[in-house]
Amino acid sequence: MTDEKQATRRIHPGVEKMKEALADGKCSRREFLRTATLLGVSATAAYGIASNILGEDVLPDFVSSAMAADQKKGGVLKFGMVVQEMADPGTYSWTQKSIVARHIIEYLVETGPDNITRPNLAESWEASDDLKTWTFHLRKGVKWSNGDDFNADDVVFNFTRWLDPKTGSSNLGLFDAMLEETGEKDKKGNPVKRMIKNAVQKVDPHTVKITLKSAVLSIPENLYNYPTGIVHRNFEKEGGDFSKNPVGTGPYELAEFKVGELAVLKKRNAPYWGGEVFLDEIRFVDLGEDAGAYLAAIASGQVDGLYELDLTTLEAAKNIPGIKVISIPSTQTGLIRMKVTEKPFTDIRVRKAVQKCCDVKRMLDIAHRGLGIVAEHHHVAKIHPEYFALPPIKQDIEGAKKLLAEAGYPKGIELSCNVGNTDGVWEQDSVAVLKEDAAKAGINIKMNVMPSAQYWDVWTKAPLSLTSWTHRPLAVMVLGLAYRTGVPWNESSYANPEFDAALNEAESTLDVEKRRAKMEKVEKILQDDAVLVQPFFRSVFTAIRENVVGFEMHPTRYYRFHKVSLA
Amino acid sequence: MVTLVVKRFGFMIFTMIVVSLILFLLLETDLTGDPAARVLGQFSNEEQRELWREQHGYNQPVVLRYVKWLGNFATGNLGESIRFKGPVADVLLPRLWNTAILGFWTFAIMIPLSLTLGVLSGMKEGSKLDRAISVFGILTTSVPEFASAVFFSALFVFGLKWLPGTSSMSGGFEFKQLILPAMVLIVYDFGYVARMTRASMAEVMTSQYIRTAVLKGLPYKSVILKHALRNALIAPFTVIMLQINWLLSGVIVVEFFFAYKGFGALILEASLNNDIALLEACAMVAVCVAVTTQTIADIGYTFLNPRIRFS
Repeated sequence: MTDEKQATRRIHPGVEKMKEALADGKCSRREFLRTATLLGVSATAAYGIASNILGEDVLPDFVSSAMAADQKKGGVLKFGMVVQEMADPGTYSWTQKSIVARHIIEYLVETGPDNITRPNLAESWEASDDLKTWTFHLRKGVKWSNGDDFNADDVVFNFTRWLDPKTGSSNLGLFDAMLEETGEKDKKGNPVKRMIKNAVQKVDPHTVKITLKSAVLSIPENLYNYPTGIVHRNFEKEGGDFSKNPVGTGPYELAEFKVGELAVLKKRNAPYWGGEVFLDEIRFVDLGEDAGAYLAAIASGQVDGLYELDLTTLEAAKNIPGIKVISIPSTQTGLIRMKVTEKPFTDIRVRKAVQKCCDVKRMLDIAHRGLGIVAEHHHVAKIHPEYFALPPIKQDIEGAKKLLAEAGYPKGIELSCNVGNTDGVWEQDSVAVLKEDAAKAGINIKMNVMPSAQYWDVWTKAPLSLTSWTHRPLAVMVLGLAYRTGVPWNESSYANPEFDAALNEAESTLDVEKRRAKMEKVEKILQDDAVLVQPFFRSVFTAIRENVVGFEMHPTRYYRFHKVSLA
Repeated sequence: MVTLVVKRFGFMIFTMIVVSLILFLLLETDLTGDPAARVLGQFSNEEQRELWREQHGYNQPVVLRYVKWLGNFATGNLGESIRFKGPVADVLLPRLWNTAILGFWTFAIMIPLSLTLGVLSGMKEGSKLDRAISVFGILTTSVPEFASAVFFSALFVFGLKWLPGTSSMSGGFEFKQLILPAMVLIVYDFGYVARMTRASMAEVMTSQYIRTAVLKGLPYKSVILKHALRNALIAPFTVIMLQINWLLSGVIVVEFFFAYKGFGALILEASLNNDIALLEACAMVAVCVAVTTQTIADIGYTFLNPRIRFS
């Protein structure tokens, strides 16, 4: 990490407030580090400040930089992961695509495994006191692999492209505060939005200013969301296909690419601004969709690491010599969401009845072997910094029956739930447990299990379905993507201006205590509107061979092998 | 003979046209959902879809589209794959080649093995050797491929650590990686062919002309090799031709399990990913192989068996 070099131009007043909060014990050290780094303090400085205030050493949870001295250069890392087409980094909808691309193109910032966001292509940044203007100072001397200099034009081009509805990028939901309504409506009756003029501006060749219509705290964290990789300013002019024309600023170049088979990255000859990378070559080997094949491949040394370890292969992997199993808690989750615009879910009583049937603990224990933390139907996890604890929820079969009768289904109701097992069979198992419990209340759920790729064709359309959502470091990020009115990933078609307003307010509140207090309303509205049944947030696992040094599990599986070497 | 060949070829083409029509109706029309939405993905809007339909001629009458589609197929223009973002032929041919390699080694070992064991077993019906071969053949054939794949993996990969666990050939062709998939296919299929050969051989051995040959004092070896074998191999020939057919679908399980990048895995990937053009091409190839082997089997059978040729 080169953040040591970073010049902190100006300390945001929010940092002072955070210091006080840390000293008074009102915020955790994690929360302090996260917020301070978001506001432009370098990670090293933030760790230093925290150490001073608390009078003890506050060290990063991970040790990558300390290890560098002992690491060996060279070698080929083989990594088992599906290899998908990756033509447009702005519209990625699978993390796996971004993992290959992450070594070629880079992000303005980087959120580490410790959930701290650090400078990357942006050397530093500042936010205005009202959090509506963000200035990013771009790193100088960074070269694209085609020889061009990286500059502000690249960043402006990327923002403009993401925020053009024609691109179809999910980033629209993340940067809603840069959008305005055009006055037109789409087929569903939702307003069509476009980027506000001058929302992103080039100040000088290495400074970009972002202007928001409302305050947002998580702008830097949003910039490490996986479809925000920065492509070259001529990306569209040169064909708009990243796998055919992989121009990047990262340390690796694409040497071979076969969808469904293999992606090979080779270390570039040119010096890399971010310092030494160890591996000469990274090979992503596609072994299909069978979890057993991945286990067999790592057991026989054909690959050194896996994208993920399936729940079904976890125990087997623990017993194989030479293999390390790594597990961390995350906010990855499965949502059994109800589409509020489709019958019978237009009636909130039906939605509430389904929700009341759910026994979260039982679902976690059966579907995910208890590995995770229970959820409360509002998509905010206990490990999210802004989590506000609402009164506990309980299964209520009688209540469900009563609501159902009121809604005009005294004899029960038939429902069909789609499940694509896009992240494993725990998805299907979760629905199975709900089906069992719901049957007691007269809700008869038919399970419609479909192949994962087919699932993504219908995920925003089906009335009832289970969708797997990935981890995001802040709750406001995921809530903005999934529940804000009219955003592309709002799969439940939920539209509640009151919720949108409450979320906007929480997003613009810097003070942790105050923000957490505001989250109470956000969580409560979402829970009360009964848009989803959310049983648990699951832990994530993977396996690597013992000869791999410096590998860090990332809660979003945003793996990056810059600091990985082979023993 | 010529009429027969012409008739067979005519029938072959007719079958393929019927299949192509079914394929077209299932995949290229709105019967199973909007093709534009499938190709452009979930975030596409109606405007983009309409543009795509216009560009790709989806707004023309169905009959005209079918004729054009068939013409494209006949001239080798198989369209673009959605999943692989490239021409279907570029994906299909290497995959077919991989399956051909797997099929070649499977057959190269399975055919001599099952013929030999079948003949040995059928020569003396009821002998200990016959019983042993028959029981073994029934046993292996009745274990499904996915079960024997797990069993062999547990034994050779996780237990003995002799063989690699998957066969993706990502670092170039390696014969070692071919062993497990081929072994599963051989074990599954060998029993079937061996038992067909045995039955055929046993039948021939009881016929009058073999008894005559033995009684006139020909050496046993010569009776078997010169007289019995040729007749006994007619039935297995048809069975073996049908195995090529079976192989194309039989490899799906094996290729999926061992991550072998062949035609079977491709069919699965194409269908899981709604890759219409690729799925069409795969289906047509499979049908083409099926009717071709069937035709060869029919013609070859008449050639080997004069009774059919002249009746």
